[in-house]
Amino acid sequence: MKLALRYLGLLSVLAISIGPFLWQFMTSIKGPGEDVFVPDFIPDDPTFSNYAAVADVVPVWTFALNSLGVASVNVVTNCLGAAMAGYALARLKFRGRRLAAVIFASSILVPFEAILISLFLVMRGLGLTNTLTGVVLPGSIAALNVLLLRNAFLALPAEVEEAAIIDGANAWQRFTRLALPSVKGTLVVVALFSFMFSWDDFLWPLVVLSDQEKYTLTIGLAYLQGTFVQNQRLVAAGTIIAVLPLILLFLLLQKHFFRGVGEGAIKG
Amino acid sequence: MKRRTFLAGLAAVPVAGCGLSGTSSTSSAGNGQVTGEITFQTWSLKPKYTDYVNGVIDAFQKQHAGTTVKWVDQPADGYLAKVMADASAGSLPDVINVPPDLSFPLAKAGQLVNLDESLKDARSEYLGNAWQAFEIPGKGGCYGFPWYLNTGPIFYNKALFRQAGLDPDKPPTNFKELEEQALKLAEKKIAMLGQTPSIADFGLYGVKLFENDKFTFNEPKGVEFVQTYKRMYDAGALIPEALTQNYTGAGAKFMAQQTALSPGSAYDLGKFKTDAPSLYANIGITKPITNTGSANMFLHGVSVPKSSKNQATALAFGRFVTNAENQVKFAKLASIFPSTSKGGDDPYFTTEDGTDEARVRVAAAKQLKTAVNYTPVQFSDQMREALLQQLADAMLGKKSAKQALDDAVNECNRLLK
Repeated sequence: MKLALRYLGLLSVLAISIGPFLWQFMTSIKGPGEDVFVPDFIPDDPTFSNYAAVADVVPVWTFALNSLGVASVNVVTNCLGAAMAGYALARLKFRGRRLAAVIFASSILVPFEAILISLFLVMRGLGLTNTLTGVVLPGSIAALNVLLLRNAFLALPAEVEEAAIIDGANAWQRFTRLALPSVKGTLVVVALFSFMFSWDDFLWPLVVLSDQEKYTLTIGLAYLQGTFVQNQRLVAAGTIIAVLPLILLFLLLQKHFFRGVGEGAIKG
Repeated sequence: MKRRTFLAGLAAVPVAGCGLSGTSSTSSAGNGQVTGEITFQTWSLKPKYTDYVNGVIDAFQKQHAGTTVKWVDQPADGYLAKVMADASAGSLPDVINVPPDLSFPLAKAGQLVNLDESLKDARSEYLGNAWQAFEIPGKGGCYGFPWYLNTGPIFYNKALFRQAGLDPDKPPTNFKELEEQALKLAEKKIAMLGQTPSIADFGLYGVKLFENDKFTFNEPKGVEFVQTYKRMYDAGALIPEALTQNYTGAGAKFMAQQTALSPGSAYDLGKFKTDAPSLYANIGITKPITNTGSANMFLHGVSVPKSSKNQATALAFGRFVTNAENQVKFAKLASIFPSTSKGGDDPYFTTEDGTDEARVRVAAAKQLKTAVNYTPVQFSDQMREALLQQLADAMLGKKSAKQALDDAVNECNRLLK
């Protein structure tokens, strides 16, 4: 009895979390002339032509390639940069270390919208508006990732490192040979977070970019929402296309992901 | 997301105004040669109207040899944020597509070319009410060529009317009937409306919205209007989500057949046909409800920023895009309406051919002659939000209608500064 109740609970949570997504998918395979807004879950005339139509309406592959480029660079810079910063904050002794950590933490609290305009002016000053570099730069080393990695490095017993120092290892060697391999899980989390963040980002690329050829997928798909006409089926198909890589990535890295979340949570 | 960024953008505009004051004095608007390259930015017209816009650009380039027009189209989502960011950086395109509520803060900050000054003869080519929409109230000066207009009928769901025992051929024609019928529908647990009133709805009710540089919609008539809504809300004639709903969200509820009545546009019919065929089968179309005799209208325009390095070409192109011939062509394509003084005389807008589309079109075109853009240009997105919140408090009974409106007006006046 108890077991049945438990499963019932789990199933209802499953329905709540997956339901909207399934709904969107069902909408995306509905044929023309079917009710999109009325609760009518199963399409009468299922078709995948909406997906082909999305590619006809907007150059989806160009957009996806731009997004992929931006996201990949973001993953690399975040893993590398945040790991180095996190290691310095956790393990190296220098004046103002505490203060630096606090500044990193508090910068998470500033909403992006508040600094949007000034950030744009900076990019303009650097001559990076309307370039993909301009899109990548502000998010290239996220404060959240730095803190995640700092905590992960703190979890590594100090004795291990002291032993390495006695053996004559310098800071770089300790970082690359000892510290990095022990936080693989958190690195995967950081990679996933930064990929997701940059893949989903809408506002910043929109403000920075002006040429359609440079658009990322999220902005490109906004074209499906026309001023006067919009086809809900195409919008649904577009969102499914946009979210698919994220799901695949998550499934691939799932094992590391959950290990990493636990890893960062234990403080040394 | 979108809303918050707009606020950030607005806050930045005065800064931008200061930064640009140097350039504005040197610009000699409208006298230069029509040649060289300009950039034209539109509001979400790709990919549906790509051929049309390219056609207009080609024609312009042919007419003025030596000109090149580069077209960029921005998605509607985040458009305001984008324009505001560009404005504060002084990097606005030479010709931008903006609605009046966006041209207003730019014009106030001294960023836009005054057409009344630089193109004295242009005014007569456009409808008076459209031209006025781009003026700074009380100060004069027009800061945008009026482009397309829109107004529309009210759609209602005949099936839901029948269910509640109402005559499906007698939709409400005034606010009193609207309330009566809404209460009847509510008895059968059917909601009439999907939204609390917008500022334009207050205007339609005949409330004085703005006077002597101040918002005034807390006058007795406004209070009376909110009380009407409160009675309907208490009876269940508004869906619960109405308290936070915007126009698009309310439209979706109507298509999902959860509300019985919704204002709309000519182009909505096509949407009903493809996305909500079972609603389309029962769709009723009627005149907008108004106490003033004038329907509400929305419009878009084309402005030229002072920061443009090629103002002469930009102005010529702005005028070309919005001339009668190009506007009528566009209006036919998109089921909208031209803002030129002669545009509405085209037989397309005056003769019915028996289809629903034509009926809606002709009625709307007639309606446009007297239509008013009720939403004051000073009414920013932040103010819209304030009004929505105060109305929600009034509906929930946390405040009296009078108190809620007083608070909303105070907040709007504060934001005005």
